[in-house]
Amino acid sequence: MATAGKVIKCRAAVAWEPKAPLMMEEIEVAPPQEGEIRIKVIATGLCHTDLYHLVDGDKRGFPVVLGHESAGVVESVGPGVTDYKPGDKVIPLFLSQCGKCKFCKCPKTNLCESSWATKYHDIMAEPTSRFTCRGQTILQFMGTSTFSEYTVINQNAVAKIDENAPLDRVFLLGCGITTGYGAAVNTAGVTPGSVCAVFGLGAVGLAAVMGCKNAGASRIFAVDINEKKFEKAKVFGATDFLNPKAYNKPISEVLIEMTNGGGVDFSIECTGNTEVMRSALESCAKGWGVSVVVGWTNVQDFSAKPIQLIYGKTWKGSLFGGFKCKDSVPKLVRDYMSGKIMLDEFITHKMNLEQVNDAINLMKTGQGIRTIMTVSK
Amino acid sequence: MATAGKVIKCRAAVAWEPKAPLVMEEIEVAPPQEGEVRIKILYTSLCHTDLFHLLESTDNKGFPTILGHEAAGVVESVGPGVTEFKPGDKVIPNSGCQCRECKFCKSPRTNLCERSWVNDHIEYMSYPKTSFTCRGKPILQFTNTGTLAEYIVIRQIYVVKIDDDAPLDRVCLLGCGVTTGYGAAVNSAGVTPGSVCAVFGLGAVGLAAVMGCKNAGASRIFAVDINEKKFEKAKVFGATDFLNPKAYNKPISEVLIEMTNGGVDFSLECVGNTEVSRLALESCAKGWGLSVLVGYTNTDFSSKPIQLIYGKTWKGTLLGGFKIKDGVPKLVLDYMSGKIMLDEFITQRMKLEQVNDVVKLMKNGECIRCILDMSK
Repeated sequence: MATAGKVIKCRAAVAWEPKAPLMMEEIEVAPPQEGEIRIKVIATGLCHTDLYHLVDGDKRGFPVVLGHESAGVVESVGPGVTDYKPGDKVIPLFLSQCGKCKFCKCPKTNLCESSWATKYHDIMAEPTSRFTCRGQTILQFMGTSTFSEYTVINQNAVAKIDENAPLDRVFLLGCGITTGYGAAVNTAGVTPGSVCAVFGLGAVGLAAVMGCKNAGASRIFAVDINEKKFEKAKVFGATDFLNPKAYNKPISEVLIEMTNGGGVDFSIECTGNTEVMRSALESCAKGWGVSVVVGWTNVQDFSAKPIQLIYGKTWKGSLFGGFKCKDSVPKLVRDYMSGKIMLDEFITHKMNLEQVNDAINLMKTGQGIRTIMTVSK
Repeated sequence: MATAGKVIKCRAAVAWEPKAPLVMEEIEVAPPQEGEVRIKILYTSLCHTDLFHLLESTDNKGFPTILGHEAAGVVESVGPGVTEFKPGDKVIPNSGCQCRECKFCKSPRTNLCERSWVNDHIEYMSYPKTSFTCRGKPILQFTNTGTLAEYIVIRQIYVVKIDDDAPLDRVCLLGCGVTTGYGAAVNSAGVTPGSVCAVFGLGAVGLAAVMGCKNAGASRIFAVDINEKKFEKAKVFGATDFLNPKAYNKPISEVLIEMTNGGVDFSLECVGNTEVSRLALESCAKGWGLSVLVGYTNTDFSSKPIQLIYGKTWKGTLLGGFKIKDGVPKLVLDYMSGKIMLDEFITQRMKLEQVNDVVKLMKNGECIRCILDMSK
């Protein structure tokens, strides 16, 4: 391409400081260095983690270009990159898979030592960046920064996908859907015939419902205080719908009663609220119940009475659904293309990057599931 | 036996109220009813759960009671419908049960039982119904056992028949503490060969956990306690490293993470303190670390969600996850064949009348286990 090896000037939505609207800016994107790939971003979505950082994030994590759920095309590659070439369809990843570290070699985890997350989860970005704007360094959120026409990412954090994949749908596999779906099928290990409860019915929660369904759960409780979400939960496979505010006792007690005094076999918490995390654990069956924390917060502690665990429940957490990202995202793309998983049903709004603040407002007010933003033509 | 079918009068140490010394009393023990077994207790020991109930109870709900839930004895008589036991059988009464019919007993994943007293009466730490009376007043049986009495009556689903040749003055320890700690390591944590482990708290339960880690083939076992006098015994049971948190000016979890280049594979909290529970979780390796809550407390434990999101798992254990009627007889045989140690847990031997001395020793941390001989 005509841009290879050169600095690219392009549009990006910059978060100059916490709590302020994003600003469309012209930024400079440096060429990829050793082991890096520069990607033209075609489509991106907005995730609660972006919003969380913008509203509550550490000041040291600014200024930053947000965005970590996207799909695009390779524009150029840096020295040492042999697996990718210009024109490849790819999904940038906020986790990495170097294939060599102790985590990558362990089948039990999808962490990777080369990831920004291993060292910099407070500021949600590597200190070094390929972005500048009017002479100032702009951080790259979660190593991805997809609210920009072009981004630069280490090849360990890039998944090459099928050349026929529709980028305007599969971008969702960059975070939310993979996270929720994997929390059910991998981390919880939902079994055929089991009873499950999913707390929080945003994109992640709905993907968890879909994961429970695909894993063969016999009953799936969808729990949310916003009943408008129940209709979509049904589309993804939920069998029962509970609004905690409709009851005058804790929802965990309701669930235990509705499951004949037993509690659910698996619960998946997708809200990032520590009280909900507690409820999700308490809703589980004694003896074998497994509760998975998916929702993110770094502000508060989760807690429970020891008796909950002593009676045989297990508390776990899930990051990117427990999927080894470079191996699994391409498979999930093919699962979508073959009809095994749904993606279209998550998309409720379509915008372009200039409308990013509107997308943020939609998410803040709980309207819609996922907005797709066209970034580059 | 000459006592079969009749009320037995015998000695027992009664806890009339919280925080008061136990009082030696003559009590009446009713004959066993349908499905019940009356056992002559020969040896018993105290556990921290007994002390917790006696010293920390905030109300009188669970009193008066006869404490004790770690014991061994002989069947004196059986009630109608009992075919599994006969007078003279050596047995270990248990605070957990196994009915073999409920959904829990039929599941390989848990040792809970629907018929357990803990399901409905945890606030009394006892069934409301009791076979004990003293001067006309009912006395509760702590954790359904109440082994600080020469004779007890419990349902057969709580009774474990053990080998005829088992030495009762040692295997009584398998009624609670040793089984709990050992099983926490080998069952609940599922310690693997070559793994790195940390055990927090080095009382009987913690030392049994160390032994479990060793028997499971752990390559390195950190023994953590603020009382360094316990390190010597921890070494006997298999610990390789010894850490006193008070010797460091940073959290012990950070020390462990540094010493292991990332954290331990398995940690076991055997103190019953929620701050220690937190540190035990945080000491675990990202990605696969597993922490087991063994010590009991009624206070909330807590941590940051990122600990779980980065791949750690938090679990608990009750009686080491053993299905007691299946698991305890095997542990007795393991002791008899030298696979597990029991003698090394015994630091004192006394008579039942000296029970308040044992309470004091345990409060002062000067005792791992004291065997109380129930004979006159």
